[in-house]
Amino acid sequence: MAHTARADMRDIFGDTLVELGEAYPKLVVLDADLNTSSKTVKFLKRFPDRFIQVGIAEQNLMGMAAGLAAEGYVPIPSTFACFAARRACDQVSISIAYPKLNVKIPGSYAGLPTSACGASHNAIEDLAIMRSMPNMRVVDPGDHHELRAVMHAAMAHDGPVYYRITRLALPDLFDASYRFEWGKGARLRVGTDMTLAGTGMMTALCLRAADLLAASGVSAEVLHLGSIKPLDSALLIESAGKTGAVVTAENHSVLGGFGSAVTEVLAEHCPVPVLRIGVADRFVDSGGIDELFTHYRMQPADIAAAARTALDRRQQQRLTATAGSAGSRNTTHPVKENA
Amino acid sequence: MRMGEPVSVARHGLRLDAAAAAALEEAAYQIRRASVEMITWGRWGHIGGSFSMAELLACLYFREMRIDPERPDWPLRDRFILSKAHGSPALYATLALRGYFPRDDLYTYCQLGGLEGHTDMTRTPGIESSGGPLGQGLSIAVGRALALRYQENRQSRVYCMLGDGELNEGQVWEAAMSAAHYHLDNLIAIVDYNKVMAKGFVWDMMRVEPMHEKWAAFGWEVIETDGHDVLAVTRALHEARHVRVTGKPIVIVAHTVKGRGVEAMEFNAKWHTHAPDPATADSVLRELARNYGRPEEGYSRAAVAHRVETFPGGN
Repeated sequence: MAHTARADMRDIFGDTLVELGEAYPKLVVLDADLNTSSKTVKFLKRFPDRFIQVGIAEQNLMGMAAGLAAEGYVPIPSTFACFAARRACDQVSISIAYPKLNVKIPGSYAGLPTSACGASHNAIEDLAIMRSMPNMRVVDPGDHHELRAVMHAAMAHDGPVYYRITRLALPDLFDASYRFEWGKGARLRVGTDMTLAGTGMMTALCLRAADLLAASGVSAEVLHLGSIKPLDSALLIESAGKTGAVVTAENHSVLGGFGSAVTEVLAEHCPVPVLRIGVADRFVDSGGIDELFTHYRMQPADIAAAARTALDRRQQQRLTATAGSAGSRNTTHPVKENA
Repeated sequence: MRMGEPVSVARHGLRLDAAAAAALEEAAYQIRRASVEMITWGRWGHIGGSFSMAELLACLYFREMRIDPERPDWPLRDRFILSKAHGSPALYATLALRGYFPRDDLYTYCQLGGLEGHTDMTRTPGIESSGGPLGQGLSIAVGRALALRYQENRQSRVYCMLGDGELNEGQVWEAAMSAAHYHLDNLIAIVDYNKVMAKGFVWDMMRVEPMHEKWAAFGWEVIETDGHDVLAVTRALHEARHVRVTGKPIVIVAHTVKGRGVEAMEFNAKWHTHAPDPATADSVLRELARNYGRPEEGYSRAAVAHRVETFPGGN
């Protein structure tokens, strides 16, 4: 289905569901009283017999999806990301992920853009929750090309998948030729001084941050990692090894989500300074979208500022390391010795 | 036999002949014995809730359900979801006795790589759901029942065994509401109403009465039965499958006794989760045999050294 780059991701989701419905007769959509918000209503109109209304009951939503999957259907239990992850966490984990059932869970209204719903409806922990479940694959698509590709890839994969849908139109990162691969990131901009690693809608902001940095002479590499689990560790390690400083950006809490995933990889394989952009450890306020991103310091300027801090730390570490090796080669605590 | 002179009837007849009833009671006896064996050897498990549903499982798997142990994925089979998944020893025992897997496999219960402490549908033939957290099974059963309708499979039934304490979980009532909304008369829930939860009597912990009225108010057909009388259970199952097919889901409220079969375990919350030591298991199994009027037979592995738990890294 043709869309301009300015179509809301929810519409892309709804249209792609219809497209998948044509291709996969076993696909069924379950809805917890949110179909006009999530846009599963598009599927309802085209395939009323394969649309199951469960009412406002997210635990039952996930359990019924498990039962349908166990009988060979491919259920899409649709609700807001906050409810899928928080309200139905146990059902997603034990009824679906544990037996590795073929359920594709779309988390709508991901992160801050939720039409001023406030803390209750802003899913800022869904990536952390879903990522911690064995067998679960987790994706935060960065534009409409990727969302569509992810939805197709999810159908081709036998097992549970969680993907996010942003309640916004996102600028293009890719074009129609984009092919999504599990555990593969994309280098959107080549740079040498530092790495900006984004997921979901935040990659677009990373690109703008890279422009800001370029204006002040900093060459930033921009990676998009839509596939959070599995994560493209090789790309991360290669880029971080080259630049020596990383900033992550996610439309999510900085605890347990994308920034944590990146940090886990780099701490074990390529320990460089990493700063994380995202919502700090707090419940969020209601507000306008741009206003919220400013308030929680998730704007391109904030990413650029974090990048400069990461560069300073890298510089500091390099100085310390040089001083340490020059001073006493055998010491096990060079920082202390030279402090 | 309170129904008068026993007569031989068809498999799905209303009445059992004496031989068929005796066979079901024998199955229930063996389910109890095997549960004690595996829980003792595995050093963990729920005897009370296994004993309370022994007759229910016997009547389901040895008479009512359309199943083929050779083909656990047979599309036209009846499905069974153990929502009270901590009762897994009784279900594993039933499946082994019914021929889904070798009886010796029961001794892998709670052993690394063996039968899961609760239920894992990817690991054991005949297990139709993965569970453990209470309240999840009925939703899975609703999903399966809806799927059978999509498939236009009018022969299969979906059975779902719930605990009474489990009815405290809100998800059960979400599922109950949806089953009635979708007129799932191919869904038969069974409440193992054994009156005892993990830490006390249901009416002390959290009242579930009025049981009958609750289910009826949620739009279900309700059948109450003595859950330890194979005649009554068989009749209730027959009624659920053939008589009460009225566009509503059916629930069988089976009045049972937690720990039924061994005096010290009956209505005793201490035996909710508790593995007997080999000596206790031996005396429990002997008492069970006496209560069934069988030759006394103790714990088969009484003389075998049992696994001892050690602290990681060694004691």
